[in-house]
Amino acid sequence: MIAGHFGFAALVKARERQAPLWALMLATVWLDVVFVPLFLAGIETIEFVPGTHGGYGAGIIHADYTHSLLGAVLISALFGIAFGVAWGRRTGVVLALVSFSHWLLDLIVHRHDMPLLPGHAAAQLPKLGLAVWQWPWAAAGMELGLLVLGAWFYWQAARAVSVSAGVGTRRAGLAGALILAGGLVVLALDVSGIAG
Amino acid sequence: MQFILGVIFFVVIVGLVDAGLPWPKPRPKHPPR
Repeated sequence: MIAGHFGFAALVKARERQAPLWALMLATVWLDVVFVPLFLAGIETIEFVPGTHGGYGAGIIHADYTHSLLGAVLISALFGIAFGVAWGRRTGVVLALVSFSHWLLDLIVHRHDMPLLPGHAAAQLPKLGLAVWQWPWAAAGMELGLLVLGAWFYWQAARAVSVSAGVGTRRAGLAGALILAGGLVVLALDVSGIAG
Repeated sequence: MQFILGVIFFVVIVGLVDAGLPWPKPRPKHPPR
């Protein structure tokens, strides 16, 4: 899941207007951003679901540090603290929660591959995931729903602040359109596997 | 690849467009006196 996370961040921006959108967008994928170097180092891995060649929702992700419950809580807390120092407690808490929302949304789609604890400590504990990726169109529909909702509520909020500040609403419309269009492109690339 | 494209697009490009909107600013921990 990629586009759905960005849609959720846009949805949060409509409510938490003091939190900069770029930071919310970074927060919503922060666990995956941390995952990238660990993946490149071979510490966290992706295994194709047997009988598939990978693709949208066809991966079993061994991300015991970034996508374990404890790991996600710690990484999100550090993210929130780092920004909270500069922008205040409320914004820091919002960013930490948005970062952790990644784990909750992934929980819906992942195929029983999300551990509670990182490393060997997790071996005896069950792995979590509701495995909606077994039905790719349902997962893609959920992402699309988050994206459309996020772009819509973001646009409404951006338009409202523009009107109340006495400035034009063109930029608000542009930003909302970019969220929707960019999200649709990312979702299409993700589902089709065109970009690898 | 779509992940990297998505991060760059949403954090940098959408973030820059959004930053030009008159949103309330985050309240710093210790506001200037």
